[in-house]
Amino acid sequence: MLFKGFSAILTVLAGIGVALVLYWILNKIVEFLPGKWEDRIKPYAYIAPAFLAITLYLIYPAIRTVFLSFKNDDSTKFVGTKNYTDLLKSHDFQQTLYNTLLWILIVPAATIVLGLAVGILADHLRPGSEKASKTIIFLPMAISAVGAATVWRFVYAYSPPGQPQIGLLNAIWTAFGRQPIPWLATSTLHFNSILLMVMMLWMQIGFSMVLLSAAIKGVPTETLEAARIDGANERQIFGRVILPQIKGTIVTVFVTVTIGVMKIFDIVYVMTNGNFNTNVIGVDFFNQLFTNINNGAAASIVVMLTVAVIPIMIYQVRHFRAEEAAR
Amino acid sequence: MRGSRRFKVAAAAGTVALLLAACSSSSTGTSTGGGSSTSGGSSNFGGATINVWSSMDQPIIDGLSAKLDPEAKALGINVKWTKVDNINQIIATKVQANAAPDIAMVPQPGVIQQLKAHVTPLDNVLDVAALKQSYIPGVLDTSTFDGKLYGILVSANLKGLIFYPKKIWDAKGYTVPTTIDELNTLTDKIKSDGITPWCAGIESGTGTGWPATDWLENLVMRYGGIQTYNDWISHKVKFDSPIVTQAGNEMAKLLFTSGNVPGGRTAIASTSFQTAGTPMFQPKPGCLLYQQGSFITAFFPKDIQADLPSNVGVFGMPPATAGGDNPVEGGGDTAAIFKDSPAARAVMKLLAATDLGSIAAGNGSSFLSPHKDFPLTDYKSVLTQQYAKVAYAATAFGFDASDAMPGTVGSGSFWKQMTTWVSGSEDLSSALKAIDGSWPSG
Repeated sequence: MLFKGFSAILTVLAGIGVALVLYWILNKIVEFLPGKWEDRIKPYAYIAPAFLAITLYLIYPAIRTVFLSFKNDDSTKFVGTKNYTDLLKSHDFQQTLYNTLLWILIVPAATIVLGLAVGILADHLRPGSEKASKTIIFLPMAISAVGAATVWRFVYAYSPPGQPQIGLLNAIWTAFGRQPIPWLATSTLHFNSILLMVMMLWMQIGFSMVLLSAAIKGVPTETLEAARIDGANERQIFGRVILPQIKGTIVTVFVTVTIGVMKIFDIVYVMTNGNFNTNVIGVDFFNQLFTNINNGAAASIVVMLTVAVIPIMIYQVRHFRAEEAAR
Repeated sequence: MRGSRRFKVAAAAGTVALLLAACSSSSTGTSTGGGSSTSGGSSNFGGATINVWSSMDQPIIDGLSAKLDPEAKALGINVKWTKVDNINQIIATKVQANAAPDIAMVPQPGVIQQLKAHVTPLDNVLDVAALKQSYIPGVLDTSTFDGKLYGILVSANLKGLIFYPKKIWDAKGYTVPTTIDELNTLTDKIKSDGITPWCAGIESGTGTGWPATDWLENLVMRYGGIQTYNDWISHKVKFDSPIVTQAGNEMAKLLFTSGNVPGGRTAIASTSFQTAGTPMFQPKPGCLLYQQGSFITAFFPKDIQADLPSNVGVFGMPPATAGGDNPVEGGGDTAAIFKDSPAARAVMKLLAATDLGSIAAGNGSSFLSPHKDFPLTDYKSVLTQQYAKVAYAATAFGFDASDAMPGTVGSGSFWKQMTTWVSGSEDLSSALKAIDGSWPSG
């Protein structure tokens, strides 16, 4: 153990040393060039190692993944689009897509609405209580998703009737003289998926609240006063004065949460592992790769996911540029 | 200006350093394996070192090594035991990297089958005919592929044992059933006495569903016999077949009948297998019978564990017909040679000996010998003696099917579809068809 720790420290030190030497050498080489060229080349000399690293660790694997998605389970022969058609035809995968869609439809919107609500309500509190309430709501952000999911498993835990209910929800439920309910196994109307989303919201609202509340505070008071003088009521002020001015922040939060939700894995994996019709794309990918050892299917799932995420990212970048231009 | 440049160099260097560190840390793990034959030593093998990897519990490793190491030493072999978690995955990578240990014990014989090109057949190493007499019938079949023996079971565990709370059982005067029909009768009798007959729980985190596969496997084995069972493992018999359907229906009859398990059918999928047996030990028992593997006693309440022999009774799931085929389901760690050498073969011979476990059986470990001529009195634990009685009386040993099937099914669709079926959102026939559909082609 001691040796392992020592070797880890040594590795890090050696790594930093080698990298320093590398940049020093690159710098020296460039300095040999005639003055004008030195200035032209130098930025590239500094960016090149990082760029190469990104190419090697990000772009190359991405291209390889696309290749593998057209190959069979152990990547030994090409099977064309079979992986895609098999998946899209399978009832289970259709349900998985449907569940993921539910997440995308519900979670980002709910995060915005609740974050906004908390932000506005907290704005009306005294400074001390505003800080306290915001801190409490922001707190779950600091917990790892796996840890939080493990805790929430206990919230939803079930024991047969007659046994002590260790689950918070069932403890409350049975206190009213009702039979305990296996919450996470109740897939009627995707109720269990919604319970998982509640947990996601619990983690995410702090994030949306902080950004949106800052945006609301950033709205110039002159505009609010001008609206009041013109005789607008509070609702009109919110809808026509505040909202348009914080739209940029709303879009940013919405896009960030949407991308996060499309890739959602840890919460579902820990709480149900996709059982009881709660499967989502991220969990299906993991199980295809590590349980089924089917490289082809796993690759085609992430390729589909990437294709779905790209338009949202393009929108986000465009929106960001438009905002910058307007400023 | 100079200061900011220096900072940029340092930041860029740090990034690269992290990448380098990430690369090099993955390579440090490989330095352990290999490394046989050192100088010195005595006798005919001249101090050769044999690496043995396993994922068995440490007390079992300790017990086996206490017995084996002196014997190997006398031959001039140093045995180096290493406990390796998730050995199933690691051994495949090590074989590909040409860094496999001399001998490895893997819990899934399917892994040995996949790697059999790299494994030394034992037909000319061991006296197979004599071993056949010594082992529980069928043990060698679990590691025989294409007519060649590739491994031997060293330590076994049993599935399909039915546990019951002894005090209440004795007070009510119940008797151990000898056929599945009698098991049904017993179930009804317990129910008419006002006790919920079965404990059941298949929740196991990301492994949810496996306890249900054990149920089905035990019944398939009893209705179909060991040959059908093994054909089922290799998918010559489909999931959607009369035998498997019959087994599923019997399981449904015992567990899904209203009032047969606490909370009813929907509760099974949400109840943890670890705590499902706990209601047995309440003053007014919440349930009375619990089908599980030999390891389950470790999850019983502490005060029950303090005195297992007087609190817990156990019997093997009965055969389909009295006096008929009485197979038993189990698992265990199978030893195979991944790096051939005369010394490795010599150690393999020692591992095949009946008395290998004579220390492990008495040191408080959960060791269970697969040799039916192993003396029962060597087991220190009364409960293990009872397991051994069940195992050694069996007419055949069937390896846990979900561990022997391809991973896609064995730890994938089989678990998932059983969970869906048990939770009541799918009928048996569609579950079985879905598993058939997921069987890897070719």
